[in-house]
Amino acid sequence: MKCAVENPVQADQNLRRIFLVGNPNVGKSVLFNALTGAYTTVSNYPGTSVEVFRGTCEIHGVRYEVLDTPGMYSLLPITEEERVARDMLLNERPDVVLHVIDARNIERMLPMTLQLIEAGLPVILVVNILDEAERLGLRFDLHLLEEKLGIPVVGAAVRRRRGLKEIRAAIVGFDPSQKAVFGYAVDLERDISRVTSCLSGQYGLDARAMALLLMQRDESLTELVRSVEKDNFAVVEGAINEIAFDRRVDLHLRISLERKRVCKGVLEGVISEDGQRAIDWAGKLSELTMNPWTGVPLLLLVLYFGLYQFVGNFGAGTIVDFLEGGLFEKNLNPWFIDFCRTYLPWNWLFELLAGEYGIFTLGVRYAVAIVLPIVGTFFIAFSVIEDSGYFPRLAMLVDRVFKQIGLNGRAVIPIVLGFGCDTMATIVTRTLETRRERLIATLLLALAIPCSAQLGVILGLLSAVPGALVIWGGSMAGLFLFIGFLSARLMPGEKPMFYMEIPPMRLPQPRNVLVKTLTRMQWYFLEIFPLFILASVILWAGKMTGALQWLVEVMQPVMRLLGLPGQTAAAFIFGFFRRDFGAAGLYDLQTKGILSPAQLTVAAVTLTLFVPCVAQFLIMKKERGWKASLAIFAVVTLLAFSVGFGLNRLLLLTGVPG
Amino acid sequence: MICGFCHREIPEETPEKGCGRCGGGCRKVHCPYCGYENPLPSPLLERLLGRKEKKK
Repeated sequence: MKCAVENPVQADQNLRRIFLVGNPNVGKSVLFNALTGAYTTVSNYPGTSVEVFRGTCEIHGVRYEVLDTPGMYSLLPITEEERVARDMLLNERPDVVLHVIDARNIERMLPMTLQLIEAGLPVILVVNILDEAERLGLRFDLHLLEEKLGIPVVGAAVRRRRGLKEIRAAIVGFDPSQKAVFGYAVDLERDISRVTSCLSGQYGLDARAMALLLMQRDESLTELVRSVEKDNFAVVEGAINEIAFDRRVDLHLRISLERKRVCKGVLEGVISEDGQRAIDWAGKLSELTMNPWTGVPLLLLVLYFGLYQFVGNFGAGTIVDFLEGGLFEKNLNPWFIDFCRTYLPWNWLFELLAGEYGIFTLGVRYAVAIVLPIVGTFFIAFSVIEDSGYFPRLAMLVDRVFKQIGLNGRAVIPIVLGFGCDTMATIVTRTLETRRERLIATLLLALAIPCSAQLGVILGLLSAVPGALVIWGGSMAGLFLFIGFLSARLMPGEKPMFYMEIPPMRLPQPRNVLVKTLTRMQWYFLEIFPLFILASVILWAGKMTGALQWLVEVMQPVMRLLGLPGQTAAAFIFGFFRRDFGAAGLYDLQTKGILSPAQLTVAAVTLTLFVPCVAQFLIMKKERGWKASLAIFAVVTLLAFSVGFGLNRLLLLTGVPG
Repeated sequence: MICGFCHREIPEETPEKGCGRCGGGCRKVHCPYCGYENPLPSPLLERLLGRKEKKK
C-alpha cells in the first residue's frame, strides 16, 4: 500500500516502537523484512516525499511497531532523507533504536553509534554482514565492544538469518537505563558544558547532543532552539559564536575528528585480523597511493600512461591524425571548398561556410576532428580513474602538499574538481569556510587549473614535444605553489585540518566506464558544437568587418613581447570563448608548422594561465561579485603574460626545448 | 546513484543542478556530500544501452 504525501500513515501510539537506523546498504531493509514479515505499509513522511516503511511484529508476546528509516550517515543531516530520519528519531520517541552497521566498515560507521548514544537514544548496535567480514579475515570481540560502548551489541548476518534470535532477545531484554559517556578533549568538553549550561528548554535529544549539533551549525536544530529558547537564544548563540571565534577552527571538523579518535580507542582490541588472511591488494594499493613517497611516483605513472600515452599519443596523435589530417584536410575540406566555390557566387557566404573561419572549415573541423577525439580519450581515462576510487586518494595526497603551503585542506575538493570543469569547481568553493579561502581557491582555479577539455587538448598539443610538457607542468605547479605560499603569508592561523572518508578501491566496470564516457561526450558535444559554430560566425564577422584584424593588431605588441608570431593572437582571442577552443587554435598553428617548440611552450603556458573562459568569468562574478572577479581577471592576465614573457626569455637563453 | 568521487549514495531525489550556462541543462547531479558532478545518462543513451528495459 502506498499513501500520498497528504495522507501519511499515523503511528499506532499504543505499540512499543523499534527504529532501524544506519547508512544506506547495510541491511536495514533485510532486517526490517525479517522482523516484520510481508505485512508492511509504505507512507511518505508528513510534508515530504521521503518514503518510510512501517510494520509490526511480536517478540516474546510483546507487540512492536517497526520503522525502517531512510539511510543516514550522521545525526547532522545534509539530504532530505537524512533530515527525515533525524526528525523521526527526534519527534517520534522510539523505545528501541537498532543501529545497523556494516562489519566491514565498522570504523567508518561507529561515529554515528556514538552520536546516537550521546543523544540519549535507547540504542542496540547490530554489527551486520559479519559473514563477509569474517571471510575477509576480520575477527570481532563483540563482548568487549559491548562493554566499552555500554549498550547491547549483536553480531549478525541478517541475509543468512544469523543473529536474528539474538536481536530479538536484545530488544526484549533491553534496559534503557544503561548509559555510557564518552569523553572528548578537555577544551571541547569545556565548550560542550558551556553550551549545555545555556540551554533551558526541553528537547528530544540530550543536552550534550544538542550542544554538539548546535556547535556543528545544524540549521534546523538552531531554528528549533531559537523557537524554544525565545529570549534566551541570544545567550546560546553568543556562546557558540564566541567558542567558534576562540577556537578559530571549523568546529564541525573538530568534533568529527574527536569522535573518530574516540571510536579508534573503542575499537582497540575489538578487531583483529586473521593471520591467514590473503593479501588485500586493493588495501595495499590504497595505502601506497596516499603515502607521499609512493603516491607521487604512482601519480606520475597515472599521468604518464593514463594521460600522456593514452590521451596525448593515442587520442591527440593517432585519432586526430586520422580525422583531421586524413579525413578533413585531405578529403572533406577540399571537396567542400570546391563545392562552395562552384555553387556560391557570393564571397561573404563562401567565407562564412568554407573560408578561413568558416562554419565547416573551422567550427565543425575543430569540434569533430580535433577536440572530440581528444576529450573522448580523456573522458575514458577520467572515468577509469574515477571508478577506481583514485580521486579521493589523490585529494588526500595533495592535501599534504596543501598543508605545506598553508592552504586549508578542504580547498582540495574544488581544486581537484577543477580538473573536470573550473566553472563548476568555482561554485563548489561555496563549501569553504571563510571568504578569504573562497577567494584564494577561485583565484587558483582561474589561474593554474586547466579544465578537462583544455587539459586534453594541451596534452595532445605538447605530447609531440616532451620537454615542453615538462616545462608546462612545472610552470603550472610552480605558480600554483607560489600563489599558495603567498596565501600562507596572507592567511596566518592554526594548522588547517582536513579529513574525508576514503571509499574502497575497486576495479572499474567496463560498462560503467562506457556509459560515463558516452554521457560526458554526448553532453560535451551538444554543448560545444553550437558554441564552436557561433565562435566561427563571430570570427567570420570580425574578419569581414576588419574588427578581428584590428584586435589581432592590438595584441601584436604583446605577442612580440612573448616571442610569438602574430597569428597566435587569434588563438588567445579564441581562448576567451572557450578554453579548449584557444588550445585547438594553437594545435592548428602547430600542425601548420608556424610555432617552434619554444614558442609552442610559451604559448601553451600563457594560454593556460590566461583568463578563464566566459562561463567561468560569469560564475566568478556571480559567486564573488564584480570587484573580486575583475581583480582576479586583472591579476590572472598580468601573471599570465608576465610568466609568458619571463619564460620566453629563459627559453631563448637556455635553448630548451630544442 | 553512487557518487564518482566519495562513493556515497546520492539520494534519488537530488536535483540536477548546473551553473545555468548551458541551455538544455548540464544533466549532472551534484553529490550533496562532496559537490562532485556526476553525469546523468540521457534517456536516449539509456534506451540504446537497454538499461530501461533491465530496470523494468
